[in-house]
Amino acid sequence: MHIKYESQLREPLVYGNKDYHQVTEDILRPIETKPTRLWYIGFSIAVTLLMFGAYSVYREVTYGIGQWNLNKTIGWGWDITNFVWWVGIGHAGTLISAVLLLFRQGWRTGVNRAAEAMTIFAVMCAGQFPIFHMGRVWMAFFVMPYPNSRGPLWVNFNSPLLWDVFAISTYFTVSLLFWYSGLIPDFATVRDRAFTKLRKKLYGIAAFGWTGSTKHWQRHESLSLVLAGLSTPLVLSVHTIVSFDFATSVIPGWHTTIFPPYFVAGAIFSGFAMVQSLLIIVRKVFALEDYITIGHIDLMNKVIVLTGSIVGIAYLTELFMGWYSQNKYEGYTFWYSRAYLFSPYGWSYWGMMACNVLSPQIFWSRKMRRNVFVTFFMSIIVNIGMWFERFVIIVTSLYRDYLPSSWSVYYSPTIWEIGFYVGTFGLFFTCFFLFAKYFPVIAVAEIKYVLKRSGESFKPGMESIEAQPLDKFVHDNAH
Amino acid sequence: MEQKKHWSSFGELNNSEAYNKEVKDEFNEELPFVEDESVLAKSGSFLQAKAPRRDFLKYLGFSTAAAAAAASCEMPIKKAIPFANKPEDIVPGIADYYATTYVQDGDVVSVLAKVRDGRPIKLEGNDLSAITNGGTSARVQAAVLDLYDTARLRFPLIAGKEASFEAIDKAIAAELGGNVVLVSSSITSPSTKNIIAQFLSKHPGSKHVTYDAVSHSAMLLANEAAYGKRIMPSYHFDKAKAIVSLSADFLGTWLSPVEFAKQYAVGKKIDEKNISMSKHIHFETVASMTGSNADEKYLCRPSEMGAIALGLLNAVKGGTVTEINNISDATLKAGIMAAAKALTAHKGAALVVAGSNDVNVQILVNAINDAVGANGNTIDFGTTLNYRQGIDSDFATLVEDMNGGKVNTVLFVGANPVYAWPNADKVKAGLAKVKTTISFNEKLDETTSLCKYVIPAPHFLESWGDAEPATGHFSFIQPTIAPLFKTRAFQDSLLKWSGDVNDYTTYLKNFWSIKLGGVTAWDKTLQAGLINPTPSAAVGASLNGAAVASASSAVAAKNPSSKNNNDKNKIELALYQKVGIGAGQGAANPWLQELPDPVTRATWDNYIIVSPAMARTLLNIDLNNAGQADAYEVQPPKKVVKVTVGKTSIELPVLIIPGTHPSTIGIAVGYGRTETLGKAVIGTGKNAYPFASFNGQTISFDQADVQLTLTDQTYPVALIQTHFRYDTAQGNRTEVVKELSLASFLAHPTEIREERAHELKGQIMDGDKMTNEEVLANFEKQGTMYPVYERPGIKWGMNVDLNTCNGCGACVVACNAENNVSVVGKPEVLRGHEMHWLRIDKYFSGDMDNPNVVFQPLMCQHCDNAPCENVCPVAATNHSSEGLNQMTYNRCIGTRYCANNCPFKVRRFNWADYTGADSFPDNQKGEVNDVVLNMNDDLSRMVLNPDVTVRSRGVIEKCSFCVQRLQAAKLEAKKASRPMVDADVKVACQQACPTHAISFGNANDKHSAITMVRAENPNRNFTVLEQLHVLPNVTYLAKVRNDNAKAEGHKEEGHKEEGHTETKKAEATH
Repeated sequence: MHIKYESQLREPLVYGNKDYHQVTEDILRPIETKPTRLWYIGFSIAVTLLMFGAYSVYREVTYGIGQWNLNKTIGWGWDITNFVWWVGIGHAGTLISAVLLLFRQGWRTGVNRAAEAMTIFAVMCAGQFPIFHMGRVWMAFFVMPYPNSRGPLWVNFNSPLLWDVFAISTYFTVSLLFWYSGLIPDFATVRDRAFTKLRKKLYGIAAFGWTGSTKHWQRHESLSLVLAGLSTPLVLSVHTIVSFDFATSVIPGWHTTIFPPYFVAGAIFSGFAMVQSLLIIVRKVFALEDYITIGHIDLMNKVIVLTGSIVGIAYLTELFMGWYSQNKYEGYTFWYSRAYLFSPYGWSYWGMMACNVLSPQIFWSRKMRRNVFVTFFMSIIVNIGMWFERFVIIVTSLYRDYLPSSWSVYYSPTIWEIGFYVGTFGLFFTCFFLFAKYFPVIAVAEIKYVLKRSGESFKPGMESIEAQPLDKFVHDNAH
Repeated sequence: MEQKKHWSSFGELNNSEAYNKEVKDEFNEELPFVEDESVLAKSGSFLQAKAPRRDFLKYLGFSTAAAAAAASCEMPIKKAIPFANKPEDIVPGIADYYATTYVQDGDVVSVLAKVRDGRPIKLEGNDLSAITNGGTSARVQAAVLDLYDTARLRFPLIAGKEASFEAIDKAIAAELGGNVVLVSSSITSPSTKNIIAQFLSKHPGSKHVTYDAVSHSAMLLANEAAYGKRIMPSYHFDKAKAIVSLSADFLGTWLSPVEFAKQYAVGKKIDEKNISMSKHIHFETVASMTGSNADEKYLCRPSEMGAIALGLLNAVKGGTVTEINNISDATLKAGIMAAAKALTAHKGAALVVAGSNDVNVQILVNAINDAVGANGNTIDFGTTLNYRQGIDSDFATLVEDMNGGKVNTVLFVGANPVYAWPNADKVKAGLAKVKTTISFNEKLDETTSLCKYVIPAPHFLESWGDAEPATGHFSFIQPTIAPLFKTRAFQDSLLKWSGDVNDYTTYLKNFWSIKLGGVTAWDKTLQAGLINPTPSAAVGASLNGAAVASASSAVAAKNPSSKNNNDKNKIELALYQKVGIGAGQGAANPWLQELPDPVTRATWDNYIIVSPAMARTLLNIDLNNAGQADAYEVQPPKKVVKVTVGKTSIELPVLIIPGTHPSTIGIAVGYGRTETLGKAVIGTGKNAYPFASFNGQTISFDQADVQLTLTDQTYPVALIQTHFRYDTAQGNRTEVVKELSLASFLAHPTEIREERAHELKGQIMDGDKMTNEEVLANFEKQGTMYPVYERPGIKWGMNVDLNTCNGCGACVVACNAENNVSVVGKPEVLRGHEMHWLRIDKYFSGDMDNPNVVFQPLMCQHCDNAPCENVCPVAATNHSSEGLNQMTYNRCIGTRYCANNCPFKVRRFNWADYTGADSFPDNQKGEVNDVVLNMNDDLSRMVLNPDVTVRSRGVIEKCSFCVQRLQAAKLEAKKASRPMVDADVKVACQQACPTHAISFGNANDKHSAITMVRAENPNRNFTVLEQLHVLPNVTYLAKVRNDNAKAEGHKEEGHKEEGHTETKKAEATH
C-alpha cells in the first residue's frame, strides 16, 4: 500500500494499529498497574546506591575533603569530572524538547518526556558535586547574591563558578517548568481515569485543574513555545559556561578558546547516549516499542555520530594547537601528559579517544544504527568516553602544570569519592524509577497529536486523500 | 505678648472634631491583631484581613527565629578571663622579646624569644650576635615547639616510678661515691663547667667524658697532632675566595652551619657593578645540601677521601696530575687539579675543610691549609670554637670501664650513647653493671630509660644559663616562662650534691656579676643576651711536619689502588645527618620531621640514597627513560633494599638522588628513635648508627663494603617534591628558574634580560618591533587588554637571591611557627596534603649523574594580576591596596578553584581538621588519627601565634607576607608619626634566614632595601612565569655559578647548549 505522498525518508512515528484510547492504555499502563518485581529490584538497588552515596557525602562533610584523594596540585578530580559529566548528560533533554520543537521535528514526541526527565535528574545529580566539593558546604549560600549585612558583601561576578551557579540554576528551573507544563495534560488524563480518591486528588492537584478546553490548549501551546524559546539558548549557554570554568583559567590544557563549542557538542553527544541507554530499557520493560521506535533510535544515533565527530575534531584541533602554538607548557600537557600513551595518565586520553571518536564511527552504518544491542552498548561506551574526557581535561591538566616542583603524585580516588559518584547514580535511578512508575514516560497528548499524521495505522486513511486531484489536495492542505 | 495663631485649614482654625480625628489617625495604621480579630473571625481567612502582608512577615519572622533558636547547635563556650591582678610587665596582646640562647648538644645560637601573654611562641635570631648576625637554622626555629612537647618528663623517676626531688637527693646522697663519671654532650657553658669541676672534685677518681653522637674527634686530634693543641680554630668562609670542601656539610650540619652559612653568603653575593664570586669546589660522596650549593662538585667514594686529601696536598705543593696516582677516575683527578689551581690562585684567601672523622685525613687537610696560607687568614687559632668537644676514644674507654665494673656512678647530660654508639648493646651491658645511673633529660630517651634516677631537665626557654660558643663570645640564657613541669636544672642537682647552698640561678648571677663587675652590668648584659669580643686579627699556628708525614704515609698505605681491583666494585656507605633531624635531636619535633630535607625533599623518614647509575642496576629504574622516571616519581611507594654490613642489616626504601657517587649509598642517622620521645617519632625511619664503627681512635661514619639486596617490598616515602628537572621534551622551562655560569654572566651580563624580553615579546602587540628594553618596560601595560592601575602608597615586595639561598629550610620552619601552619603527618604528606606556606623547590640541570642544583624558595607571589582572585565565586581572596593578595578565611567556602588556577601552586587547602580548630570538636578522633596526632592537643597548641587565625577545615590558606607583622609595623610608625621604614618590619622567613637572601619592604619607597636590591641587580632580576602577566610582587635574582671549568667545556653558550642537548636526549627517550 504504497501511497503517493508518503515520505520515502520519514518512517512512521507510531507503529501498530492504534487509536487514541489504545495510546492512553499503552502509555498509562505502568502507572495504573502494580509495579513489577523487576521494578522493585531495580528500585531497591537504586536506593541502596543512594544510601551509600549519602554516607560517602556524610563522611566528606563531617571529616573534610581529606576523605578524598585530591591534593595540593590536583584541587579537582572526580568531583568536578562527575559534575561536568552529569551536566553534559542533562543537555539532551532540553535539546530534544526545545530545539527539536522549534525545528518541528515530529519524532521528538516519542522521546521527549523521558529525555526531559533525564535532564532534570541529571542536573540534580550534577548539582550535588559543586555543592559538596566545597570545603565548607554549610557556607554554600555565600554564592547567592543576596542583600546582606556584611558590608553588604557581594559575590564575585568575575568568577566562572558564579556563572555556573546562575547557569545551572536557570537551566534547572526552565527545564523543570518545561517538563512540568508538558506533563499537565497527561496528569489530567491520569486524573480522569483514576480509580481511587487519593489518586484523583493527587493527580488532580498535579494537573492544575486542566480541563482540556481549547483555551487551555491554546495557552499550553503558547507556553511550550515560549519555554522552548527560552530553553534553546540555554542548551548552548549552560555547557558554554561550564566550559568557562576551565577556559578562563591560566592552566595549560584549560586555557583554551575552543572549549565552548566543543563542550556543547560533547554534552549533546553524551546526553543522547544517555537517552539511548535509558529508552532502550524503558521501551523494552514497558513494552513501548511502538512509540519509541527503531526509527527514533536511528535518528538519535545520527546525532551521536555527528556530535562525536565534532568532538573528535576538537581533540585533534587541541593537539594541533598544542604543537602549532609552540607553547612549551601547552605542548607538554597535550603531547606528553595526554597524547603520550605511556605517560601516567596516557591511558585515560586514549580511552577517551577510543570511546568518543573511534567507536561512534560505527554508526555510519545504517544496520548498526538500527541495531538495539549495538546502540545500547555504544551508548554506554560513549558515556564512559565522555567521563574520561572530563577526567582528562581536569586531571591531566592539573597534575603537571607550570612548576615541575609541584607536579603531583598519582591521583586515584578513595572509596568515598567513588561512593559519591555511585550515589548520584542512585539518586538518578531512584528518581527515574519513581518517574517511570508515577509519571507517563511518553507524552500521551503529543503522541495523539502526531498519531493521525505519522502513525502507521493511519496510512490506509490516507488513501482517500491519495485519490484526490492535486488541486483539491492543495486547496485542503495549504494554509 | 499674645501669640499669633497660624492655621492652614478651616478645620485647624475651628478645631473641628473631624479635623482632630484626622490628625490623630494620620499615621496610625492599626495593627490587625486587636481590631481585626472580628474580621478574621468573620472571614476566616487572612486574605481578608486588613494587613495580611505584615502579618505574614511577622509570622514568618517569628517562626524563622523560633526555628533557628530551636535548631541551633550548642556551641562550646570558651572563656577568656582577664587578669585579676595584671602583672606589671605584661600587656595582653603585646609581645615581649627576651634575649636568650638556643643550646642543644653543643650547638649555640643567640636568639630572642617572642613571648605573648607569658608564653614563648617564636624564636628569632639575635641581630647583635657577631657569630650569627641574627641568622637561625631550622632546628633553632623549631626548638620552641619542644617546650610544649607532650612527651616531656613531668616528674622525677626512681627506677621508672614517680618520685620527689627530695627522695632522689636522699637516695643519691647515700649512693654517690667511688668512681663517678659524668657523660655529657659538648658543654659550652663556662659556669656549668665550673660546677662540674666542683662536683667532680668531691669525688676523687671521677671524670667528665664528653660524648658527641656525631663527633669531630678527628679534627680535635688532628689539630693536637699538627698544631699541638686539642682545639678547634674558627673558620672564615667570608674571607675565602676559594673554598674546597672534602664532603664537609658546612652549610647544613657541620660544626656551626648558621655561622658558616652567613660567612659563605658573603662570597656568593654579587655586586653587578663589580662582579666577583668566591669559588667553592666540593668533593662529595652522597648528595648533600652544601654540595648542592657548590660551584663545582666532584663525586668520590668515602674511602677515597684520604687519597684526595693527599693528592690535593701534593697538587697545591706544585705536583701534577700524574702524581695523584691513587685516584683512577679521570674526572676526579681533574677535580683535584682544579681545586689545587683555585686554592693556589688565592693563596691567603683559600680554605679547605673536611667532614671526615679520620685523623689522618684531617691532618692532611691541616697541611693543605697551611700550604695555601689559610692559617692566620681564613683560619683563626686566636678564637677557638667550642661546639664539639667529644673525643670518641674517651667514651670507648668508658664503655670498657663500665663493662669491666670499674664505674660506680654514671651521670648522663644530653649524651645518648645507647641510641647513637655503634655498639649500643655493649653500652647497655656496661650500664647494667653500673650501680648508680642518673640521667638529666627533658625526655625519656634511649639512655635515660635505662637509668635508675631520672631528673627531668627544663627546656632552655625555662632555664638560666650561659654559653661560650667561641672564645670571647658569650651568650646568655634566661627563662621566658615558669617551668611547665617538675623539672630541675642539672646544675642545680650538681650544686646540691656538691653541698653548695646556692641554686644555679644565684650561682650564675654571682659568677657573671663578678666577671662583669656588678649586678647592674649583668642585668644589662642579659638584656642584650650576649657579649661580643673586640674583633682581633686572625692568629695562625705552626704546623708539625712530622705529623703530616706520618699521616701521608698512613693514607698512602690505605690508598685504594694499592689493594686489589675488587674494591672498585664494592659499594660503600656514607652515613650523614639531615639538616632538620641532625644526629637525632630533631626526631621528636613534628615541624622538623615535616620539614622536607633540602636534598631529597622527603619528610618523616630516612631512606637509602642511591645514584641514578646504581638505580639502573640495583632497582632496574632508568631515570632517563621517561616512562620509568614517571612511574618512579608518581608512585610514593619506593622499592625496599636490605643493607648489610657485617652482621648488621636494615631494610630501607631507596630514593634516587642525582649527585651521588655511583657506587656509594647514603643513609641518614637520627631516625628510628624510641617511642617514648613522642608521637612524632613513631614509624619514622630506622636507626643507622649501628653501621658506624669505632676504629680504635674515632668513630667512622663510612663503610667500605656494603651488601645490597633488593627485596620485593615497597615502602611509601612522603616526598614533598617528586620532579626535579625543569627541562621537558617540549622545552626548557627557563621562565621558572634562571641560572647561568659566572663566565657567561661576565661575558654577557644582559643575557637574562634578553631571555626575559624574548619570552615576553609574543605577549605584546607589535612586540616583535620593539627593542628588548621596550618590551620589558611596556610588558606590564601592554601585555594585557585590561587597564593597569596605579598603585600608590605602600606596595609590599619581596626579593629572593637564589645565589645566597642555600636551601637550609630555616625560613620554612620559621613560617610554620609564625603563621600556625599545620603539621599534617606522614600519611597526609604522602597524599600531597602538606600545608607549608613556603617551600624550597629544588631543580637539577645538566648532567644527570652530577647535576647542578638550584634552590628556589617559593611562597605566594602576591601577584598584582592574581589568577586566584578572579576565580573565587565569593571573593574570599582579593587584593589589598598595598599589593597583598589576601585570604579571607571566614569568607572561604573551599571550592579550591584558586588553588587550581595558581600557576605557582602555593595555595594550601585544609583537607582535615589539623589543629583542632573545627566547629565539630574532636572531629578527627578515631578517624584519621595520624593526621591530628601531632599538633592538636592543648599543650602543643600553646605554641600557636595568637596574632594569626588558626584555620579551620575546608578553607584555603597561603602566605600572607606575615600581614600581622606588616600591620604592627604600620602601627608602630603611625604611633611615632613618621613614615614606615624597612627596620619596622621583618617577615618571618626573612628574619630567620642565616644568609639574608630574602629582602622585603615597600617597593614604592625609593630608599627601601627591596627597591635597592631590584635596582642594583637589573641583570639578574626576574619573576617566575613572567610571561603569564600575573605580575608577581616576589622577584628573584638568578643563580650564578662560578663553574668556569665546566663553562669552558661548553664554550660561551654553556647552559643553553646544555639545555638543548638535554631536550634532544629527552625527546629521544619519549
